[in-house]
Amino acid sequence: MSGPRKIDIYALTWRLPIILWQLVFFIGPVLFMVAISFFVVKNYRMTEAFEFVNWQRMLTRGFFWDSYWYTLFIASLSATIAMLVAFPAAWALAFRASDNLRRWAVFLLIIPFFTSYLVRTFSWYVILAESGVLNAMLGYIGLGPFRMLNSHFGTIIGYLTLTLPLAVILQTVTMANVDKTLIEAARNLGCKPFATIWRIVLPLSKTGFIVAALFCFILAFGDFVAPFYLGGSQEPTLPILILDTTKSGQQWPRAAVVAIMMMVTLFTVAFTAIALAYRKPKGSKG
Amino acid sequence: MTEPLVTFRNVEKRFDDFVAVRDMTLDIHEGEFLAIMGSSGCGKTTTLRMLAGLDTPSAGEIRIEGRLMNDVKPHERDTPLVWQSLALFPFLTARENVEFGLKMRGVAADERKKRALDWLDRMQIVEFADRNVATLSGGQKQRVALARSLVMEPQMLLLDEPLSALDANLVIRMQGVLTRLQKELGITFVYVTHSQSEAFAMADRVVIMSQGDIAQVGSPKDIYRTPANRFVAEFVGRNNIFTGKTGGSDNGKTKVSTLQGAFLAQTPDNPPGPEKQVSFTVSADLMTLTLTEPDADNKAKATLISEEFIGSVVTVFLEGQAGQEYKVQMQERALAELDLSPGADVWLSWEAENANMLETGS
Repeated sequence: MSGPRKIDIYALTWRLPIILWQLVFFIGPVLFMVAISFFVVKNYRMTEAFEFVNWQRMLTRGFFWDSYWYTLFIASLSATIAMLVAFPAAWALAFRASDNLRRWAVFLLIIPFFTSYLVRTFSWYVILAESGVLNAMLGYIGLGPFRMLNSHFGTIIGYLTLTLPLAVILQTVTMANVDKTLIEAARNLGCKPFATIWRIVLPLSKTGFIVAALFCFILAFGDFVAPFYLGGSQEPTLPILILDTTKSGQQWPRAAVVAIMMMVTLFTVAFTAIALAYRKPKGSKG
Repeated sequence: MTEPLVTFRNVEKRFDDFVAVRDMTLDIHEGEFLAIMGSSGCGKTTTLRMLAGLDTPSAGEIRIEGRLMNDVKPHERDTPLVWQSLALFPFLTARENVEFGLKMRGVAADERKKRALDWLDRMQIVEFADRNVATLSGGQKQRVALARSLVMEPQMLLLDEPLSALDANLVIRMQGVLTRLQKELGITFVYVTHSQSEAFAMADRVVIMSQGDIAQVGSPKDIYRTPANRFVAEFVGRNNIFTGKTGGSDNGKTKVSTLQGAFLAQTPDNPPGPEKQVSFTVSADLMTLTLTEPDADNKAKATLISEEFIGSVVTVFLEGQAGQEYKVQMQERALAELDLSPGADVWLSWEAENANMLETGS
C-alpha cells in the first residue's frame, strides 16, 4: 500500500499554510518585539542594543503596576458581569425556547458584530453623556445627572458591548447541548427545579462556560477602545499605557515590555483556564 | 384484593393534536411486577412519565395510595425511574451517583455514603464505587442506575426499557437480577418495554398498548394463549388467525365457517350469536402436523413453505386453502422424523378448546 511518505505530503499540504502564517505573522513579530524590548532610544531614535534598561524602568515603576492590576481587575470584573448578565438569557434560550427561536436569537446576537465596534462604542455617547438619553430619563424621576462617561462604569459598558453577545451565544450553545434527560433524572431523584442549574446544568456546561469567560476576559484585557473613549483613560489600562509610551518620546522598547507582559499574562490565564476546563472528572483513569 | 397502589381513571395525555394516551383506566397493585408493552409511539413511556410526574395528564386522575397525583411535581414524589439511556451523571463517580437522591433528601454525608456502598455491594459493583461512571461497562452502568433508584427505598420502581442497550446474554442475566430484586424487596415494578420476551419472562401482569389505548391486560400466559383481539394476536406473534361467520353453538363450542372449512371454537364469555363475522386464534405450538388425515374436530390441509430453526424448536410455515398462512411450532426432532421438504402436503389439526375467539369487531 501507499507508504508513510505519501501520507506525510498530504498532511503537510494542509498544514503548511497555517504553519507559514503562524511563522510569518505571529512567531516572527513576537520575536521581533522581544528583541525591541532590549533596544534603546537615544534622541528620539531607536537603536539596536541589548540592555535591560527598559525592563528595569517599566517593572520598577508604580504606574506600570497600578495600570497592570487595574487592567487585570477591570477585565476580570467585566468578564464576570458578562457571564452573569448573559446567563438568564442563555438559560431561557437553551431550555425554554424552541429550536427555531434559538436559531433566530443566535443569528440576531451575531448582528452587532456586523457594525464596527468603534461605531457601537460612540453610540453609547448619546446614551451615557451628561445630557444624554439615560440621564434625561433619570432626570424625570428626579435623579442624577450621573457621570457615566469617563468612568469605570463607562469602561465596563464598553467591554460588555464587545463581549456580552459572545457570552450569550457561547452559553446558549453550551447549555443547549446538555442532555435534558439528566435534568429530568435529577428532578426524579428529588432535585428542586432551581437546584438543577448548579447540580446538573453547570457541571455539564463547565468547559463551555470557562471558554466563554476566557474569551470575555481576553477581549476586555486587550481592548483599547472602551477604556479610551468611554473610560476617558482616567486610570490607564495597559493598552492605553502602550499608546502613551509610544507617543511620549518614541519609547517603542518600553511599549514592547508592556506588550510582552500582557502576552505572558494572557498565556498564563488561558492555559490555566483550558487546563481547568478540560480537567477529567474524579475517578476516571488515564 | 387490597386497595390498589396506583389507579389510573380515564387518563388522557395530549401533545398538541397528538393523543399519546387515551382514556386509560388501570390499577397497579402493591408488590406486583407489571410490564407495559407495545411498539414505539403506543403511549407506554408517556404512561410511565405521568407516573413519575414528568408529564401531566390532560384529563382524568392518577392516584397513588389514594392521593391525587396529577399536579404533584416530580421532585415531590417517591417514584424513581431507571432510564432507557440510564441518565447517570457523567461528572460524578458511581457512589456519588447513588448518593444523589439521598443528598437531595438531606441525608447526612456518613449515612449517605454507607447506604450507597451497601447498595453498590448488593449490586456486586462496590469495587467500582470511586470510579467515574463513564469508565464502567454497560452492565456495570446498569447496576449503578438500579442502585441509584433503589437506594431511595421506594415503594414503586419505574423502569423504561432499561435493558434495550445491552447485548443478548447480558439481558438474560439482568432479567434474573431484576426478578430476584423485585421478589426480595417486595415492591412494585412498573416495567416499560417493546420486547415480548422481557415482558413475558419477568412480569406478573402485562399491559399491551396500541396507539394510546390499552389493548389487553392479563398474565403473560393469558395474553399468549387467549389474545383478546386481533392486535394482540398479531403483536404477540406465532398465532394462527382464522376469520369466518358464526354458526350454531353447542356444548360450549361455536361453529365458525371460514374459507378453509368449518371449525369449532371455544364459545367466549359473551357469545357473539349466529351469523356474525368473527376471528379466532390458535397458538402455533398447539397445532399438530401429520402426514395422513387425522381423526379430529378441526383439521385443514396445507402445503409446507419453509422452516425457521430456533434451536430445539422449529417454526414451520405453511399455506392452506384460499392463501391462508399457518404457523406450527414443534420439536425439531419430531419434524426431522417426518422428513418433509418444501412443497409437501400435510394435515394440520387442533383441539376446539385451543381455538380462542377474539372480541367481535377486532
